[in-house]
Amino acid sequence: MTDFMQVLILGLLLGGVYALMASGLTLLFGVMRVVNLAHAAFMILAAYIAFFAFELLGVDPLLSILIAMPIMFVLGIVIYALLFRRIEGTPRYVEMTVLLTFGLALVVEGMLTFFFTGIFRSTGPSYARQSFFFGEFFVPKGQLLALGVSIALLSALWAFLTFTKPGTAVRATMQNRTAAEIVGVNVRRISAMSFGIGMALAGAAGSLLSFLFPFFPSRHWQWVAILLSLIVLGGMGSLKGAVIGALILAVASALMTHRFGPSWSPITFYVALFLVLMVRPQGLFGKVVRI
Amino acid sequence: MAEIRVEYVVGADTTDVAVRRPKSIARRGLLVVILIVVLGLPLARFIGPYNYVLQIGMILLMWVALSSSWNIVGGYAGYISLGHNVFFGVGAYFTAMIFAYLRVSPFVSAVAAGVFAVLVGLLFGLITLRAHGPSFIIATIALSLLMLNFFDNWDAAGGSSGIGYPLPPFPIEWVKVPFYYGIALCAIGAVYLSYRIAHSKFGLGLRALSQDETKAEVAGINTRLYKVMAFAASGFFIGIAGSLFGYSLTYFRPVTFFQIAIAAQMVLSSIIGGRATVAGPVIGAILIAAVNELSVVMFGATALNIVVIGGILLIVLLFFPQGIVGSLREAGRLPAFLDWD
Repeated sequence: MTDFMQVLILGLLLGGVYALMASGLTLLFGVMRVVNLAHAAFMILAAYIAFFAFELLGVDPLLSILIAMPIMFVLGIVIYALLFRRIEGTPRYVEMTVLLTFGLALVVEGMLTFFFTGIFRSTGPSYARQSFFFGEFFVPKGQLLALGVSIALLSALWAFLTFTKPGTAVRATMQNRTAAEIVGVNVRRISAMSFGIGMALAGAAGSLLSFLFPFFPSRHWQWVAILLSLIVLGGMGSLKGAVIGALILAVASALMTHRFGPSWSPITFYVALFLVLMVRPQGLFGKVVRI
Repeated sequence: MAEIRVEYVVGADTTDVAVRRPKSIARRGLLVVILIVVLGLPLARFIGPYNYVLQIGMILLMWVALSSSWNIVGGYAGYISLGHNVFFGVGAYFTAMIFAYLRVSPFVSAVAAGVFAVLVGLLFGLITLRAHGPSFIIATIALSLLMLNFFDNWDAAGGSSGIGYPLPPFPIEWVKVPFYYGIALCAIGAVYLSYRIAHSKFGLGLRALSQDETKAEVAGINTRLYKVMAFAASGFFIGIAGSLFGYSLTYFRPVTFFQIAIAAQMVLSSIIGGRATVAGPVIGAILIAAVNELSVVMFGATALNIVVIGGILLIVLLFFPQGIVGSLREAGRLPAFLDWD
């Protein structure tokens, strides 16, 4: 029983971070119907920013979130303007976005491998190796801090979407793009902004990833598959779904790791994805959309 | 544009024979030339050292087989799969395991590997094709990673350290020839299958459901059956190519086959040549494989290959999403010998 509780604690800690990682992805799908296969590639890029900031300048990975987020925000707007504005309104738009971001992911992965090689990297701030003990249970300090950052950022995102005017416009665009345009929302500006926010969230997640998990460029495929299965489980485009999907699957994979060893844990996500597709293709909180 | 294509297929029977004849002569002429070149390439042995040429020829033909097969489901049916490398790997592993445990020559079991890939395609097609659009694409990525994980952990198949063959029992100066012919037959078969499907009722149904699945269903097409059949059929020649290619490597690991870059190249080749056309994937496959080989020769680094492939994919999608054959046809400038539809 204590074993189970310990696994549950670790799973929930992880789930909080997964939720942050997936939030940008699901936001982008919700607002723009873009399935961003390059999301994790940009996360790894941000992890490299954090890594070199730490190794060369001694900047703490948690602080480098403040560097990574603005850089990724601007990068997101540039990518939107260069790639996605051109294809708006083309037939088979969603499929097109998948292929475009697939190409983008390959370019980013290749560049990262070329400049930084395929070696395993990990930033090592002191808290990454410390743990708190509560009675029989231990809580890794790094994961707890990451969870804190994740909760803070997700709350900020939620507050932004709920209480501000641009946030309301984003939600309106998620619900019905055409209707939002009719009532005077500048959909293009909202799309650009959402792309920036989505990428900035990937940037923050990347900084956390840099000290939680070892990484190398081609690792991003595994990450993006994990994140996509989270949001397929939760319902694509639903933020609430992403958070709940992340918590469920993170706990499931922690149990799997505990029972069968770490090499089998990614399989949890893929099997869950197939099960969801078979039983409830629209996910837990997804709308049934014909695309 | 798509409606024009459907109309063309429907109207194919009624087209005036006299109008079509010059086209088919040009096509047939080209076909004979291609067949002679492909099947006669090993004769270059008598002119000089040729192993490199034969190896490159084999790689080009292998990509022709892979892309033409991918096109059946990714082009005709319009379901983009980013996990078709799974068939490639499953074929390679099937043959290797048969060889390791039963000592059956890979050249014999290659066809069985193709059949096995079809069965795998049926199983996963039934699961993944419940999803549409983006969910399907995501499922295929997950399938590819699932297989990588599975084979990395499956000790009976060598696990992550891979599986090896003894050297093929052929004299060293002829060792590439059987592989070359095996892959060449595979490529010819894949293109022929693609052609036959394009010209059949089945292919027409696939094109219809790629336009609008609900309408196709209303028109009486069993879309689910069609999709799953297309998915499974596309696995056959990829499985065979995988089994022969695996043997020609003599040693491979799960990541040799279950890596997304292989699927990427199939997708890119079909898109750059022209999706849902017969000639497109062939042209695209040769072009991309040649560019890949050139960039290896010039830059050496494998990482830049990925950048080149990704970059070309972006440019093609943004500026001519119809691909070479599709764009030329739209402009009415498609040379007759390339019009295989």
